[in-house]
Amino acid sequence: MTKTEPGIPRDTLHAYIDGQLSAEAHAAVERHLASHQEDAALVAGWERDGHALRALYGPIGGESVPPALSPHRIARQGHGRPTDWRKLAAAGLVLVAVGAAAGWYGRDFTEAGQASTATLLDKAVAAHNLYVGEVVHPVEVAGAQDGHLARWLSKRLDRTIAIPDLKPAGFSLVGGRLLPDGRGPAAQFMYEDHQGRRVTLYIKPTLESGESSFRFANTGPVAALFWRDEGISCALVGELPRDELQAIATQAYEQLG
Amino acid sequence: MPDFLDEVEACVPALRRYARALTRDADRADDLVQDCLERAIRKRSLWRPTGPLRAWLFRILLNVYRNDLRRDRRAPMSFPIDTMASEPPSPADQPGRLALADTARALEQLTAEQREALLLVALEGLSYAEAASVLEIPLGTLMSRIARAREALRALLEAPPRLRTVK
Repeated sequence: MTKTEPGIPRDTLHAYIDGQLSAEAHAAVERHLASHQEDAALVAGWERDGHALRALYGPIGGESVPPALSPHRIARQGHGRPTDWRKLAAAGLVLVAVGAAAGWYGRDFTEAGQASTATLLDKAVAAHNLYVGEVVHPVEVAGAQDGHLARWLSKRLDRTIAIPDLKPAGFSLVGGRLLPDGRGPAAQFMYEDHQGRRVTLYIKPTLESGESSFRFANTGPVAALFWRDEGISCALVGELPRDELQAIATQAYEQLG
Repeated sequence: MPDFLDEVEACVPALRRYARALTRDADRADDLVQDCLERAIRKRSLWRPTGPLRAWLFRILLNVYRNDLRRDRRAPMSFPIDTMASEPPSPADQPGRLALADTARALEQLTAEQREALLLVALEGLSYAEAASVLEIPLGTLMSRIARAREALRALLEAPPRLRTVK
């Protein structure tokens, strides 16, 4: 393949095609192309491919939209397919209590699929209890490196994980770590408020689709809220009153979408 | 929230186009868009997105799409439906149908990351900044992804025909 002449980096040629250059830079590339045939041929080829893509799929943007894809209709129907919690969710998040201390390990879980929820809780609470008391090494990667942390854990979990900012609830990020969960990985994020109270957010990839409502469980002083979002299961664990935990979980839920 | 729904509605044609280019399957594309819209409307009752709505919707669409792909990896082999036969005929001054079919096939051979990025910019006309925000990657990563995608596409189309058709 042709080499770009010195002076105009490849990236600039791509940015030129994509209309991302300033007027001056754009004009400079045009002048360059007028006198450098190899680069001009390269750019022409890329532009041809761009035209082909738009010829292939552009017309779909002009088609009339099927009624099922009308946002107004979807909103009116209470969010379409009546599979799970969506009707309830139309009125806001619904909190479902699934048992007090006795129900912790799933004895109260009756519906299919909830055994895995119990496992999630079990692991999330175990990880919470193990690390929350750590003073020296509470996390693997400190919260100050949140960009690195998010990229690393997103890669390991094969999910885009945006680390929730819980400062509005008074909790700042301490950091996070990677944990084993059955055959796969899970991530744990730890947060702390100004009183030194810590909560952990446990996230595990799932292949199940759709969302679930918030569920609540507690054992002794430790309480947990858990839910399923698109592609992930989450649990927020802490020694906090349920209301407070729910306010934090709601913030996490909103940002994890 | 009529304003929100109107704004979402204005984005639906673009979401359908993008979903179709990603999946090359009209039914699957519309299913993706429907899931995306349901999810966006559900999230809306909790959260007013701070960023531009369009980027947010594309991000949701991609999340749903990627999760579908993960499920497919576990599911028994399924064969993608090639919708070329039902693609709209191209106007006379556009590349011929065969050339378009080649481009569609070459697109399919890019990595998922390259395809997602290139289509956001080259088909949907998003700025680099907006596309980087949709994909939640740094601007520099987006730019090198676009460059690699476009160069890979060209290389595939310049390859001898018998190497070109894989599927």
